[in-house]
Amino acid sequence: MGIRFIKEPELINPVMIACWPGIGNIGLIAVDNMRRVLQAEEMAYIEPWDFFYPSRVIIHSGEIREMQFPASMFYFKKTGERDLIFFIGEEQPAEGGRVYAEGSKAYAMANLVLDIAERFGCKRIYTSGAAVAPIHHTARSRVWVVPNSKALLPEVKKYDNCLLMSDIEGRGGQGNITGLNGLLLGVAGRRGLEAVCMMGEIPVYLQGFPFPYPKASKSVLEVLTSALGVPMEMESINGLAEQSEFELSSLYEKLPPEIKEQLDRLKQVLIATENNAGIITEEDKKKILEDIDKFFKKEGREEQH
Amino acid sequence: MNPEQVFRVHESPRLKKPSLIAAWMEDAGKLGPQVIDFLVQKLDCREFGEILPEGFFPMAGVTVEDDVTQFPVSKFYVSDEHNLIIFLSNTPRTDWYRFLNIVLDITHNECGVKEIYALGAMVSSAAHTMPRLILSVVNSPQMKDILNPYGIISDMEYETPPGQKPTINSYLVWLAWKRGLPGASLWVPVPYYLIQAEDPRACKRYVDFFDRRFNLGIDTQELDDHMSEQNVRIARLFKENPAVEGFVRRLEVNQPLEPEESERLAREMGEYLNRP
Repeated sequence: MGIRFIKEPELINPVMIACWPGIGNIGLIAVDNMRRVLQAEEMAYIEPWDFFYPSRVIIHSGEIREMQFPASMFYFKKTGERDLIFFIGEEQPAEGGRVYAEGSKAYAMANLVLDIAERFGCKRIYTSGAAVAPIHHTARSRVWVVPNSKALLPEVKKYDNCLLMSDIEGRGGQGNITGLNGLLLGVAGRRGLEAVCMMGEIPVYLQGFPFPYPKASKSVLEVLTSALGVPMEMESINGLAEQSEFELSSLYEKLPPEIKEQLDRLKQVLIATENNAGIITEEDKKKILEDIDKFFKKEGREEQH
Repeated sequence: MNPEQVFRVHESPRLKKPSLIAAWMEDAGKLGPQVIDFLVQKLDCREFGEILPEGFFPMAGVTVEDDVTQFPVSKFYVSDEHNLIIFLSNTPRTDWYRFLNIVLDITHNECGVKEIYALGAMVSSAAHTMPRLILSVVNSPQMKDILNPYGIISDMEYETPPGQKPTINSYLVWLAWKRGLPGASLWVPVPYYLIQAEDPRACKRYVDFFDRRFNLGIDTQELDDHMSEQNVRIARLFKENPAVEGFVRRLEVNQPLEPEESERLAREMGEYLNRP
């Protein structure tokens, strides 16, 4: 298990922004968009062998020419005052067929990522993921923020368009952040590093589908760039968000009227609280998800023909 | 975990640049295990080592197959007389890189293996009456030259499509290439409607190849008998069930079946051939 360097830049007061795939690829799209727009340079990568099964083989004329593995890349961007390190993992090192990382490999990867953070003097790490919420896809996604220490609460409370777990009534400040986007916060805490996870809201009815949800990535980027004080053009993420909303709206129009009627009730949700129980009950939610699942399976079959 | 706990070698074989034949228990239609079982039995191979399951398989209970429990096995056999090493294993569920490197450490570093054949089945929509071919993916031009005289097809153009993963055989021969060891991943297409039963023709195709390649002088009468017996049973099924015969005849002339027809063919053929 090792790290290979492409470049070893001198960085000033850097902050790390790390991300792996998850629901709607919200964090991944946000962080990858940021590193592209800022034209961050390749810095290092984690050797994949011990973490991943190969993702692709290329065979030419009966001979194996290339075996590709999911990449785990570090990038850097010099900004002058507060440099940035990006880490983007194409896959979580899951064991036993699970989607999200857990166990010794996840812990090992978290430590390798933080080794780089410490080597370059990072004191703060950001990760990003998804928050499944009872919202409609036409609504602006908010961002749930979870820091790894109480000392960070006053700061994160000031972020615009954000919620703490305790703002969601009935949760009592409790919750889970699955996989490496969460685990990294815990491991960072053990090393005395500050860390914050930013989770963009995704409508509850989209959580089980393999669609990206860049609308929430846009919300994450707005909060992240503001927290970092790094200005960034948002044209590219706006384009992705608009395209996604257009596609979702087209699909939405095809939904059976009874499902659409149920989902339209989510348009009334302004704040993701348990008070919304009057708008959509747990039973409604289960039925909606089942109906949508059936609908998409049917659509899939039709598309195959 | 220290290295002694990862694998056990009961008695190191003393061979002169042997070849390795490897297969996986989960192979479609169990073709790989059938070929290995046949070779191990006919060549009077002895087991000489194993990779222990801990760390490679989830130790979360056992599966039950044909009414009995199954537990992961990863065993090495040797035929001293024919200078062959044979490996049969369940496919590891995690830590594939380490697992496959242990296979290569034992066979290449310890036993001096000079070439690798990783075999398997490929589910096919061709009829069972079509001849069985061996297709290959090699890890070097050298391996292509080795296979050339045996009529093995090795001209594939392929890139893993999104959402799929390379096979473990491709991974093994790629790791072998990293060690400078020639290797080939071999497939024999097996008709999908024989997956629930057996395909003795496919098994014989492999055995014939290894027989020629390593001058094994192996007696394949048992496989011929099995093929004849299967032919008789299929002919009887056709008589009892003309619809099934119609499906097979259409496949013989490359006429595709509707999904419901394919499903019916696989189900009814499987049930019939599996009857005692």
